[in-house]
Amino acid sequence: MRRTFVQSLALYATVVFTLAMILFPVYWLLVTALSTTDELYRLPPTFWPTDPQWDIFARVWAAKPILLWLWNSMLAAIGSVALSMLVSVSAGYALSRYSMRGGATMGMFVLTAKMLPATLLVIPLFSIFSSFGLIGSLWTLVLAHSTMIIPFATWMLKGYFDTIPKELEQAAMVDGCSPVGAMVRVVLPIATPGLAATALYAFVLSWSDYAYARTFLVNSPDNWTANLGITTMQGEYVTYWNDISAASVFIALPIIAIYLFLERYLVGGLTAGAEK
Amino acid sequence: MANISIRNVSKSYGALNVLRPFSLEIENGEFVVLVGPSGCGKSTMLKILAGLEPASEGQIIIGDREVTDLAPGDRDIAMVFQNYALYPHLTVRQNIGFGLKMRGTDKTEIDRRVDDAARILEVTPYLDRKPKDLSGGQRQRVALGRAIVRQPQAFLMDEPLSNLDAKLRVHMRAEIGALHKRIGVTTVYVTHDQVEAMTMADRVVIMQGGIIQQIAAPDELFNNPANLFVAGFIGSPGMNFLNADLRDGRLTAFGQQLTLPRATSHQGPVVVGLRPEHLTLGEGSVTFGVRPTLVESLGSEKYVYFGAEEARIADGEEGKSKGLIARVSHSGNLPRDQELRLGFDPGQLYLFDAKTGERL
Ligand SMILES: Nc1ncnc2c1ncn2[C@@H]1O[C@H](COP(=O)(O)OP(=O)(O)OP(=O)(O)O)[C@@H](O)[C@H]1O
Ligand SMILES: [Mg+2]
Repeated sequence: MRRTFVQSLALYATVVFTLAMILFPVYWLLVTALSTTDELYRLPPTFWPTDPQWDIFARVWAAKPILLWLWNSMLAAIGSVALSMLVSVSAGYALSRYSMRGGATMGMFVLTAKMLPATLLVIPLFSIFSSFGLIGSLWTLVLAHSTMIIPFATWMLKGYFDTIPKELEQAAMVDGCSPVGAMVRVVLPIATPGLAATALYAFVLSWSDYAYARTFLVNSPDNWTANLGITTMQGEYVTYWNDISAASVFIALPIIAIYLFLERYLVGGLTAGAEK
Repeated sequence: MANISIRNVSKSYGALNVLRPFSLEIENGEFVVLVGPSGCGKSTMLKILAGLEPASEGQIIIGDREVTDLAPGDRDIAMVFQNYALYPHLTVRQNIGFGLKMRGTDKTEIDRRVDDAARILEVTPYLDRKPKDLSGGQRQRVALGRAIVRQPQAFLMDEPLSNLDAKLRVHMRAEIGALHKRIGVTTVYVTHDQVEAMTMADRVVIMQGGIIQQIAAPDELFNNPANLFVAGFIGSPGMNFLNADLRDGRLTAFGQQLTLPRATSHQGPVVVGLRPEHLTLGEGSVTFGVRPTLVESLGSEKYVYFGAEEARIADGEEGKSKGLIARVSHSGNLPRDQELRLGFDPGQLYLFDAKTGERL
């Protein structure tokens, strides 16, 4: 079908508008980082700094332990992704494939954990972690983030497994696989897009956390995550927004890298050809 | 290759009985077709044989091994699924070789056997493609290839042709028949299509509602149906049924008193069955006049639809039934509104008990 000129115009206008909405904060972050302090407070604001301060990135990198913070964030995120994927792949698969007494109720119950606001869980988690002597350790984040990720990830994966015909596992079992073998050799490879999307969701959720890190790690600067580190750059009397923006750019980069890495797995349609 | 022996196998899901106790001896190399309407338990039976569903009771023996409690992979059977269930992430070669690989066959042996199977099924040119790049018929062949490559004791096939278009279905039906002749592996084949059952089977098992209605060779089923269900299921167009009253070997049908050539002591209400092809135009020892409601022409044959007072309409078929059918040889023109005389031989009538549906 050929689009008329008006239809094309409407289509491109929508695309441009949506992109502008999404990209504006990124652009503003960059402008803020590159502006001098004076220019930041000027009214009306300038849309591109008159004298871009490109050396800000080097200065901030030298002044703050950005690499350490990123490393800690990375450890917490990888730990959370690993733990929550392990649990939610098994749970989502079980909910999708096995009907057990109370299975549906149990599935719904998993979701109720997601309905509690994170702030409500902070205090009980704090007392649990402190009785295990974990406060200050990155393990607190791995565990706390997993409690946020697992309920939703389980349902995402259950939904994905539901779309995979169970005859595929039956065929694999007739071909000599055990039930676990059928899952590992047939179901998981086909579920790659679902696994990648869920892992990305988990990674972003862990990476963007501030509340838990602030509560459990505030007294252990060696274990500060990026988000926690940045907020300490906020001064009591003066805040250098350009420094904070430059640090934020560093923090955003790994997420972009992870996305680019996972993108190739995020394509759909991997079950095509299994049937009919 | 092996014989299969199913002994008193039954299946229920909670209070729901899907299969009543069921026994069947399948000879080595035999091609047995399970046929019946949707939901009668055919797939369930096949899954129990494959070990994908546990039987509630009973025993299954394949060859000389009891396999009732063995995992599917340990039964040495191969299954072809209704929706093919090809592994979408593997190439055709890997799909066919998967079962051998799982059994630890060595690489060169796998390649040799996959090549053999591919040659038999003519899928050699596609070995490096993924299933999504194949047509329906090619996928079907790959699914068959995955089964034959293992040289199993038995093949289980669950409606393997139902996803194909009519022409390809007839073609693949012949191919599966030829394949069976060539490799001679005991096969249990499920279908709801009576034509498939009649053309492919050594023996047919007709099921309804989880109960076996009759086990017999195709011709035997056609000529000697055990009950009303079998009589109505086998044959196309289906058998005509009339309600009648049997008194001292005589009954009334098409407004005439008929004397049955066969002696029967049964008294009371019966269902009379008459195959459409046993009705002829104008001849026969009994003739009657009809005014056709519809005449369908298939060239040299005509299907003449007509009504009769005694016509028995099956439950749930009220309204959609066109009444009775005669299948007559006639290449000329048969005007619809003109009265015709049809005839038949009372010796070709089938009689069924009106209450139990059993053949008398
Ligand atoms: N897991 C299950 N739980 C409860 N009932 C089931 C289950 N699986 C199948 N059934 C029931 O068992 C009966 C037989 O099912 P089955 O799949 O064997 O039918 P079928 O003869 O293969 O039909 P079709 O021709 O439609 O494939 C059906 O009434 C079905 O609803
Ligand atoms: Mg079925």
